[in-house]
Amino acid sequence: MIEIRIHGRGGQGGVTLAKILAAAEHREGKSVQAFGVYAAERSGAPVQAYLRCDSEPIHNPNQIYEPDHLIVLDPTLISPAILAGLKPGGWILLNCEKAPEHYAAQARVAAFRIATINATSIAVHNGLGSKTVPIVNTALAGAAARLLGMNLESVINAFSEFGFHGGNIDAAREAWDAVRIQQQEPAPGERHKPAMPRGRGPSILNGNSGAPSPIHTGQWANQQPVWEDATPPCNFICPAGNDVQGFLAELTEENIDSALEILLQTSPLPSVCGRVCPGFCMTQCNRSELEGPVNVRALERYAGDHGEVSIQPQKPRAQKVAVIGAGPAGLSGAYHLARLGYGVTLFEAGAELGGLMRTGIPAYRLPREALDRDIDRILKLGVETLINTPVDHDYLQTLAQEYDAVLAATGLQRLTSLDLGLDMRRVLQGIEFLDRARSGSVSVRGEDIVVVGGGNTAIDAARSAHRMGAHKVRIIYRRTRNEMPAIAEEVDDAIDEGIGIDFLCSPLRISRDNGKRTLSCQRMELGEPDEGGRRRPLAIPGSGFEIPCDRVILAIGQAADLSLLPEDATLSRERPIEQKGIAPVYPAGDLLTNEGTVTAAIGCGREMALMLHERFSGESLLEETPAAETVVRADKIRLQHFERRDRHDENVLPLTERQSFSEIRHGLKNVEEAKRCLSCGVCNSCDRCVTYCPDGVLRREGRDIIFDYDYCKGCGVCVSECSRAVIYMKAG
Amino acid sequence: MNMQLVTGNHAAGQAMSLAGEANRNARGVVCGIYPITPQTEIVEKVARFPFSKGRVIPVESEHSAMGVCIGAAANGARTFTASSSNGLAYMAENIMVAAFYRLPIVMAAVNRTLGPPWNIWADQGDSLMFRDFAWVQLYCDTSQDVADSSLLAFRIAEDPRVLLPVMVCMDAFIISHTSMEIEMASQEQADQFLPDCQIPHRLDSSRPFTTVGMTLPQDTLSHRLELDEAMKRVPAVLDEHRKNFNEVFGRQVAGAVSAYRTEDADRILIASGSLSTTTRDVVDAWRAKGEKVGLLRIKMFRPFPVEQVRRICRDAAKIGVLDRNYSAGTGGIFCHEVRSSLQGTGDQMVQGYLAGVGGGDVVPELVHEVVEDLTRRTRAGEPVWQGIE
Repeated sequence: MIEIRIHGRGGQGGVTLAKILAAAEHREGKSVQAFGVYAAERSGAPVQAYLRCDSEPIHNPNQIYEPDHLIVLDPTLISPAILAGLKPGGWILLNCEKAPEHYAAQARVAAFRIATINATSIAVHNGLGSKTVPIVNTALAGAAARLLGMNLESVINAFSEFGFHGGNIDAAREAWDAVRIQQQEPAPGERHKPAMPRGRGPSILNGNSGAPSPIHTGQWANQQPVWEDATPPCNFICPAGNDVQGFLAELTEENIDSALEILLQTSPLPSVCGRVCPGFCMTQCNRSELEGPVNVRALERYAGDHGEVSIQPQKPRAQKVAVIGAGPAGLSGAYHLARLGYGVTLFEAGAELGGLMRTGIPAYRLPREALDRDIDRILKLGVETLINTPVDHDYLQTLAQEYDAVLAATGLQRLTSLDLGLDMRRVLQGIEFLDRARSGSVSVRGEDIVVVGGGNTAIDAARSAHRMGAHKVRIIYRRTRNEMPAIAEEVDDAIDEGIGIDFLCSPLRISRDNGKRTLSCQRMELGEPDEGGRRRPLAIPGSGFEIPCDRVILAIGQAADLSLLPEDATLSRERPIEQKGIAPVYPAGDLLTNEGTVTAAIGCGREMALMLHERFSGESLLEETPAAETVVRADKIRLQHFERRDRHDENVLPLTERQSFSEIRHGLKNVEEAKRCLSCGVCNSCDRCVTYCPDGVLRREGRDIIFDYDYCKGCGVCVSECSRAVIYMKAG
Repeated sequence: MNMQLVTGNHAAGQAMSLAGEANRNARGVVCGIYPITPQTEIVEKVARFPFSKGRVIPVESEHSAMGVCIGAAANGARTFTASSSNGLAYMAENIMVAAFYRLPIVMAAVNRTLGPPWNIWADQGDSLMFRDFAWVQLYCDTSQDVADSSLLAFRIAEDPRVLLPVMVCMDAFIISHTSMEIEMASQEQADQFLPDCQIPHRLDSSRPFTTVGMTLPQDTLSHRLELDEAMKRVPAVLDEHRKNFNEVFGRQVAGAVSAYRTEDADRILIASGSLSTTTRDVVDAWRAKGEKVGLLRIKMFRPFPVEQVRRICRDAAKIGVLDRNYSAGTGGIFCHEVRSSLQGTGDQMVQGYLAGVGGGDVVPELVHEVVEDLTRRTRAGEPVWQGIE
């Protein structure tokens, strides 16, 4: 009886090699047995196959522990371990480039005869398998046939049983010719019987019985999982730079203070943003694919209103900064500079801090207590404030000499107007109207009000007029609802409150007839897109009509007043305005960007403050914007892993009670809503990966997931079980 | 001769498919199939077979695989399937239904250790858990035996004197995945050996009736007695069809038991499945030393070949039973059957050896240890756990 043991890797064809040789021996009249040893075999794992042949019938079906010969398919498997039990005098057929003498000199193989064949090269040039996984078994069959003293034709004929033709036959013939056999006779040697497993194993009550036996995969795993946080879409879009996912994660644990602390890293105005932000993050929220976006705005409000955080500024620095304008950009810049230890003086033209947040946003949306709470937190950092102190061009030049830097955040001071004829006394600017409405210096009771415009100011003005007892309030807008810049929910609320909106409508003039004033208007249609991408409204000839109108409120846009800045200044987000011999001027907020939201202004104020800090200290605190491809979109989220959860909405004031400026939204009762966050792209330690890894090669260490790549086979189960695209596969 | 180098799985899949095709002039063949290591190659082979009449139906579970066979057999088709280990456990309810409904279904059972812990290697505990389910059980020892017994199984199952399902069992990997040269039946031979499948109580829309509904205890009592009577007829039917087999194929197929060098043996080892072929070599080695050791291979476990065991073991003083299975709290299952068969026949010592439970490789050295222990031993004791003690 001859017994041969074959060492290969899963996928190389070792078991088939045993079967080919068995079929060939069978053709030569022998009794044969061929089989593989089966365990957790898979592509690349070390596997063994066995061949027995005898002139007598074979009864024993055991694995082969003391082979007469060895065949090794993969050069990386050549190691002393393969010699276990090999009988002295046996041959070892190795698939490798080297000559037999390379191994024959080693004492541990002195009792064996080495033969080598470069079966990999033969397989590759005969087109067997692929370059990375060549199928070497037919070449080795040719070489083994030579060593076994078989007829090569028996092997080649046996191929037909396996459907092997062409290159396989050429490979076998080539290998038969090319196999190099050690000429020197093997030295006498002793037989080594390998030990069989005996004795008791560990108890199943230990709790680790049936744990997968470690499989050393380091050499062959061809891909590896990588654990790396990606970018949640909410964080990516937030103009304030808020770590939205981060503060929501804290809220899921009901850590209100920690959530607020995260928000305050970027924005000093969470109670404000939690009320008036358009919710950029909510438009991107992957939860929309389930029951609708997470109500982030209301959660930010909760954190801002209920959290308690005491912020300690860094130790004082030498530089002093003048911040001009106490709107959101100026407040944000002042806040961040003060936190960093700079001496900050805040110049405000008005009598109170807050800019348009105070004068332009009605209290039913943003009550002054909420604004004051956020502003107080900023002032506690030691910001010096000078109210009723307008800064003009000359004063700014002076400040640039007295201070080490100036941050100019004066917003949009130039209001766009329209000539509506002679009766301009009946025309008010929206911003002006809102400020006067706040201070009670205007009355519209019983009037027919027409608000012109489609932005937030128009909506705010219309809803304020409605609350002030106007007879009828209507908005006219020259484009359609789709082009309206106002926050959609605010528009809905306005309509619900009874405010009519005439779309595709433009005002011409106010006229007076028999004591009744009317506004003549015309119908519009949308033409080609303008440079901003919005379709340009065009008047439809002969479409004029009149509507009753006691007063017109214009809310058709504002622009920056650049006369404040040095002549010929170039505005840029990348660098300040430099003037020889005096301090740099950093424009910020709408003055610089005209983005038109509190949120964007906060982000810009912070950005400029940190840029200024870098100039003074060399320390760069501004995060790099993550690449767009790192953003985890819904297609990468395993939505099927998530339970349905109903969205929590804020309680709102009933429509019938909206005659005053009482706040409409009452905030969330609790932070349950945060649990709807999918934590897109950010590991939240759900540990599905650890649970599902079939080989137990992942473990958690603190927040980190550690892979034992030596024993990871690259199956990708952790990737498919990761609900939020934190784990991905990388070719190894 | 149609000699082929095939695995046990291939042998089972091919032979059963030939048997199914042989029913093409009657009501054809139906197989409900579901994969499980290490039998999947069987159902793969069956699924690829170009049957002239009938269907192979992939289903969502073992329970349904047997359900398909039950439904089709009740309609007169020749039916077969294959499963293994926990798959058989999941199929259990319908395994019982097949037999109690007297449907001649054939199933290849590749004996694999039941989990947990998970284990894919050979152990007969899976099919032996159905020892009280009224299936005929045949434990094969080679690919040839698998191929031949698979054909024989249909002949026994469908015999009007029997009408019981038959399980054709083989050890996982040791037989299921080992290539050996065998003589494979041709379709002509299968056609010649197997008459059309006739199921007397099959459903027939031309004469509607209600069957296997609620029965009273007295009726069930009668049905149990009928099962017993059918089982008791199996040994004779088996031998009769072995003769037919020999006539068609020109070779012997092993019967309920095979005795090897037992005539004058004072020690007899009893084994089944692949254990018996390893033991055969060990017996030869002891005989070469002049020791009177013999082997009794038991192939048919149900009905248990009580008479043959009694006859063959009558003159041996010591019987050692090797079991690759374990019934918790008692020991090897074959050992118990042997003990109860020999009850009252003499004063033989019957000692149980648990060898290869959980799939361990039972190498000749372990069987030598069995003979040594049996030789030394003066009285039977607790089963010996080979490989641990």
